[in-house]
Amino acid sequence: MTRVIARDAAATRALGARIAEAIVQSGLREPLLMGLSGELGAGKTTLVGGLLAALGHAGPARSPTYALVESYRLGDRDLHHCDLYRLRDPEELNDLGLRDLMGPGSVVLVEWPERARDRLRAPDLVLQLAYGDSSRGESGRSVALHATSAPGRAILRRLAIESA
Amino acid sequence: MPLMQALSGALFTAEQVRELDRRAIVERGIPGYELMTRAGHATLDALRALWPASRSITVLCGPGNNGGDGYVVARIARAQGLRARVVSPIEPTQLRGDAARAHADFVAAGGRVEPWTREALETDVIVDALYGTGLTRAPTGLAAEMLAAANASGRPIVAVDLPSGLHADTGAVPDIAARAALTVSFIGRKIGCFVGEGPEYVGRLVLEDLAVPTDLPAGLAPVARLIDEQDVVAALPRRRRSAHKGEYGHVLVVGGGPGMPGAARLAGEAALRAGAGLVTVAVHPDNTGVVAARPELMCVAARGDADVASALERATVLAVGPGLGRSDWARALLEAALASGRPAVVDADALNLIAEAPRRYERWVLTPHPGEAARLLGVPTADVQRDRLAAVRELQSRYGGTVVLKGAGSLVRSPRESTWLCDRGNPGMATGGMGDVLTGAIAGIVAQCGDLALAARAGVFVHAQAGDLAAGRGERGLLAGDLLDHLHACVNP
Repeated sequence: MTRVIARDAAATRALGARIAEAIVQSGLREPLLMGLSGELGAGKTTLVGGLLAALGHAGPARSPTYALVESYRLGDRDLHHCDLYRLRDPEELNDLGLRDLMGPGSVVLVEWPERARDRLRAPDLVLQLAYGDSSRGESGRSVALHATSAPGRAILRRLAIESA
Repeated sequence: MPLMQALSGALFTAEQVRELDRRAIVERGIPGYELMTRAGHATLDALRALWPASRSITVLCGPGNNGGDGYVVARIARAQGLRARVVSPIEPTQLRGDAARAHADFVAAGGRVEPWTREALETDVIVDALYGTGLTRAPTGLAAEMLAAANASGRPIVAVDLPSGLHADTGAVPDIAARAALTVSFIGRKIGCFVGEGPEYVGRLVLEDLAVPTDLPAGLAPVARLIDEQDVVAALPRRRRSAHKGEYGHVLVVGGGPGMPGAARLAGEAALRAGAGLVTVAVHPDNTGVVAARPELMCVAARGDADVASALERATVLAVGPGLGRSDWARALLEAALASGRPAVVDADALNLIAEAPRRYERWVLTPHPGEAARLLGVPTADVQRDRLAAVRELQSRYGGTVVLKGAGSLVRSPRESTWLCDRGNPGMATGGMGDVLTGAIAGIVAQCGDLALAARAGVFVHAQAGDLAAGRGERGLLAGDLLDHLHACVNP
């Protein structure tokens, strides 16, 4: 696990942008499934906004809360942003066709992945956003990144190279 | 930074990881109990990242330090508000050292070890902290019963450091082992997670370096390293805008004996998709029609070795063997190819012919599957599979050059280098023609970068990656030809 402190919304956005750059520079061709967890207000949407902008999306990120999924074509990559907060039944995911969204080079960002239960494979990269631990003098947000697969590791490796 | 070690792709034996532990504790003064505490935190962090909705865990705690890690997990889980149950195949009074302390702290925080019943597994996530790397024989008695029940429970299992029952060095499962959905490994990756039956049992693998110093492995040569995207980037850099086809080499495929037209064409197409500037395919005159159906391929009708002489002159690299057969015609072509002094990727029947008359050559890449490797070494196939690392080392030292031992967790061994392992690919790739695509891909990359060892690694990687992309709709029914389009994407990292 790698833990990053984002002091404010701008830093959370910048982290999203760095992840986007890592995806582009990693040489990764496999679809990348990223899980985003953290309570409401923890900065998930802000981070996704930074990621989208860095991949070339102009304008604000559309909220997928009601549509469940918003899709973007950015350069040679398809990016799908899913918010499963309002998923009533994991079975609904079949209608969403999430598996079909995971083509070569695609990036699938899933908020509240736990609502999918076992209808969704384990994410390659899990981002846990939380309020910083004030007892450790942390202001802003704490973001824990877990890579659970070779593609996830490729992204973390690029992030490490950039920040080294 | 610590992260780099965790991401470096080094694979170690259990003994090497024990040496890393020893260095951390003895030479760097990090107390063993501190490492155990970090391991417990790391395990629970990863568990909660993948199963954030879990409210209860059951920890199977064994007799050694792995069990100690388990008691830490249970104690922290309780502190975080999870329901944490612990069962153990031994009396906790038998625990020693740091594990005894971890148990005592768990009890002091209000925890208790419950008697084992199957009902204890009615929980959100099961944590296997029975043995880790501490076991070299099969689990027996109560521990084996717990593992069987955990596997049958249908609940996700998180293995602490290594699934219990899996051999850390060979990936063998002599009897029973935990079938983990997630394995959280500490300090160094164990080779057994990547070879043999390892990949079946570890599930997702997370490496946690426990914040030990990055130079801890100094002087300790990993038994193998993971191939990654950076090998592809190194072998296939972005092209200059002013490039022309002459800069990207000329691959000559030699194969396609009577009755076997497809293999040579697949290899030729793979070389093109890997980015070779020009590809010529030399086949028996019966087979030229099949090759010519792909208009980008040039074709030579080879009645005998004299017909390939000028093509050998023009080639920068050869791919010898796809569909070659073992006839006198095949023998003559193989000898002519090797006599040319060109670098060569050698596969299939060319390997079988070489096994009949062994020789060394430094400028070849041999790409045997386990059966061909067994013939080259003169041993049964099961021996090769039992210790694939030893087999690839022996092949390289006998035959020279670079050797790729194909199969789940393909291995690449070059002179003066460590062994490399590819952890991509899938069982759908165990079908006819896949090897021909690999041979062509490696040759196509040699044509561009000239470095046989690097091209072998990059070729193995993009081939496996293309296989994974092509298997997006399912592994069963995957064709070798399905990889070709995906290769195109994979060689442009």
